[in-house]
Amino acid sequence: MSEKLLTKHPIYPLIGLLASILIIIFGLITAKNPECIWFLGGMWLLLLVFGYWRACLAVVPVSVVFCAVFAGITYAVSGDINAAYAAVNRILAVCVAVIPGLALPPIVLVRNFSALNLPRMLTLGMMITLTFFPLLGGEVRQVREAMKTRGAGSFFSPKIFYRAFLIPLIMRLVNISDTLALSVETRGFSKDAKNCSVYKTVSLRVVDILFLLLVIAGAVLAVVL
Amino acid sequence: MKAIELKNVTFSYEGYEAKVLDDACFSVEYGEVALLSGFSGQGKSTVLSLLAGIIPNITPGDIKGEVLIGGEDITERKMSDVCRKVGVVLQNAESQIIQQLVEDEIAFGCENFAFTCDKIKDCVDRACRQMQLNPQWKTRTLSGGQKQRLITAATLATEQKILVLDEPLANLDKPGAELLMNTLRQLALSGYAVLVVEHRLDMVFPYVDAVWSISNGKITAVKNKQEYLSAQAEHIQDTCCLHKVEKTVLRLDHIGFSVKGHEILQDISFEIKKGERVLLLGENGCGKTTLMRLIARLYQPSKGSIIQGIDAKLGQKVKGTSSWFKRVGMVYQNPNYQLFMPTVQQEVAFGAESAEYAEKIMQMFGIAHLAERHPQSLSEGQKRRVSIASVVATKPSVLLLDEPTVGQDYAGLREMVYILNQLHEQSGNTMITITHDMRCAEALCDRAIYIENGVVSAEGGKDLAHKYFYVTNVLKCK
Repeated sequence: MSEKLLTKHPIYPLIGLLASILIIIFGLITAKNPECIWFLGGMWLLLLVFGYWRACLAVVPVSVVFCAVFAGITYAVSGDINAAYAAVNRILAVCVAVIPGLALPPIVLVRNFSALNLPRMLTLGMMITLTFFPLLGGEVRQVREAMKTRGAGSFFSPKIFYRAFLIPLIMRLVNISDTLALSVETRGFSKDAKNCSVYKTVSLRVVDILFLLLVIAGAVLAVVL
Repeated sequence: MKAIELKNVTFSYEGYEAKVLDDACFSVEYGEVALLSGFSGQGKSTVLSLLAGIIPNITPGDIKGEVLIGGEDITERKMSDVCRKVGVVLQNAESQIIQQLVEDEIAFGCENFAFTCDKIKDCVDRACRQMQLNPQWKTRTLSGGQKQRLITAATLATEQKILVLDEPLANLDKPGAELLMNTLRQLALSGYAVLVVEHRLDMVFPYVDAVWSISNGKITAVKNKQEYLSAQAEHIQDTCCLHKVEKTVLRLDHIGFSVKGHEILQDISFEIKKGERVLLLGENGCGKTTLMRLIARLYQPSKGSIIQGIDAKLGQKVKGTSSWFKRVGMVYQNPNYQLFMPTVQQEVAFGAESAEYAEKIMQMFGIAHLAERHPQSLSEGQKRRVSIASVVATKPSVLLLDEPTVGQDYAGLREMVYILNQLHEQSGNTMITITHDMRCAEALCDRAIYIENGVVSAEGGKDLAHKYFYVTNVLKCK
C-alpha cells in the first residue's frame, strides 16, 4: 500500500471495514446479475465523493487488467457471456471493497482497534501487514538494482535471475519481519496487555453514519432490484 | 543497587554446545554510561539480548547464573515486563519503523505503556527535541541517520531508567553521533544507566564512564581506558603509494537530482581521475548515496550529465548496461542485497575474472574457510567481506564503496582497508568511497569532496577528511 493513496479524513475504520465486507458480499451474491455493475459503480462513486479518490483511481487500471484476463478466461472456458459478466462483477467487487483499506492510515486502524479493546494479536497482525506492503515495493526495486550491479539481471539466465531476485528478497523480508516483531515487543506491545492508551482518539462522526447508511441502501437496492 | 548486573552468567544457544558467555560478570551503575566492547562474534549482542529479555523469551538457550535488572533477576520474566524496565535500541533502525509520521512512531511505545495523552505529547516533544526531529516528518523520507535517531527517540520517550543500545552510531555521521552521545551523557547525569555496544570506540570514548571488554565468553573491566581505546581506535595509516594519472574517468557536470519535487542534489560538478581514491563526505541525508547511485548509473540525473572516460565502448547512456557494470563495481551499504549464490565460493566466482583470481581474492579477504557456507548464513561482518570480495573479483575499473566498513571491529577494519588499498595498487582502479568511520577515512582517500545543501561545498585532500572528522565545527572545513 502506497502512502500516496492514504486519505486525510478516513471513514471510521470499523465502518470502513464493514462497508468493505458489505460490498464484497453483495457484489458476490449479485454477480450473476448484469445490473450488479451499477451497484459496484455506485459504491466506487460513493467512495470517490467521501475523499477516497486517490485509491479509487488507483484501482481502475488494476481492475481493467484483471477483469479482461478473468472474463477472457471464463468466456474461453464456458463460452457463456453471462459467466464472463459475472467474473467481471466478482473482480470489481474485490477491487471496490479494498479501497477503504488502501486509503486508511495504519495508525488510525490500530488506534481504533486498541480503543475498542479488540484482540491485540489482531491489531499486531494488521499493523505488521499494513507496514509490510509499502516496504515491499522499495525492497523489490533495491533487489532489482543490486542484481544489475552483480550482472545477474538478465532474463536470458533464468536460473541466476531467479536466485538473484528471490534469495535476497526473501532474506530481506524475513529479516525485516523478524526485526519488526522484535522492535514492537521491545517497545511494550504485548498480546496480553490489558492496559494501553490511545494518543489520538478516532471518533465516530455523523458523516461516517451517513456513509454506512448509503452503503446499506445500495446493498438493499442491489438485492431488491 | 546496581542498574544492570550479570552474575556468573554462562549461556549457550539452543542446539549449540559452544558457550557464548562463560561465567561472565559485569555491572552498570545508575548515573553511568558504560561501553561494552569486543570483536565481532564475541557475544556483545547476546549480552544485550539477555538484558532485553529477548533471550530466552524469543531466542531460546541455556542460561546459568543471574541477570539482574534493578536488583531483580529477569531470566524467568516475560519480555513485556522486562521492556518496562529496560529501553532497548536494536540494530537496523530502518526495519523497525512501523508508522508513517515521526510523532506516531514515537508515541507508539508510550501508548503501549498506557501513558496519558498529555504525557505522550510531552514525551514526543521532548524526544524530538533531544534527537532533533520534526514530529510531522514522514518516516519513509528520512535518511538512514534520521531513522536511527527516530528509533532512539522512540526508546527515550518511554522513560525507562535503564537504556541499552546496540550499535546506535552505525548510520550516524559525526554531528549525529555527538548529538546522541551528548544526550546519553545528560541522561546519565540525571540518573539513568546507559549501556552502549559500539564499534566506533573513538567516538564513544569521551562520553563513557566505564568500559567493559568481552572476549572468549568472559567480560572484564578495562582499567586503563586510554590505553585500551588508543590501541583499539588507532588511526589506520595509508600504505598506498599509487599515484593517479591525468586521464579523467568521470566528469560530473552540474548534476541535479530530485524526487517528487524534493531536491536532493542541486548542482554537483567535479572530475575524477583514473586511479584516484575519492572520499565523499557530508552529513546524513546530504545525498552521498544518491550521488554514488548516479555515478553507478542506477539513477538518472534530473539535470546535468555524467561523462565517462573509462572506455569509449561503454558510451554515454544514462542507464547502466551489463557491460557497464562489468567495469563499474558497486558495493552496497547492506550486503544482503548482493548475495544470492549457494556457497561463498560460487558467490565470489560469479562474474570473477577467473576461478583462480576468485580463489586469490577469497584468500586475501580471509574468507576461504567459509567457501562452502551459504553467504546468507554468515554474520553481518562476514557478509560484508563476501560482498566486497564478490565485486572486486570482477576487477572493476571503478569501484564504488558505500560504507564498506560498518560492523567491522578494529582488526577487521585495518585488514579490509589494507586489502582494498593493495587491490587498488595492483589493479590501478579508481575508488569512490562513502564512510563515516574516521579511523579509516584518510587511509582510503587521495581526494575528499564535501557535499552540503546539494552542492560541493569543499574539495581537498586527506587534510579535508581529517578536518571533517576531527574538527568539531564542520564549517571549518571550508
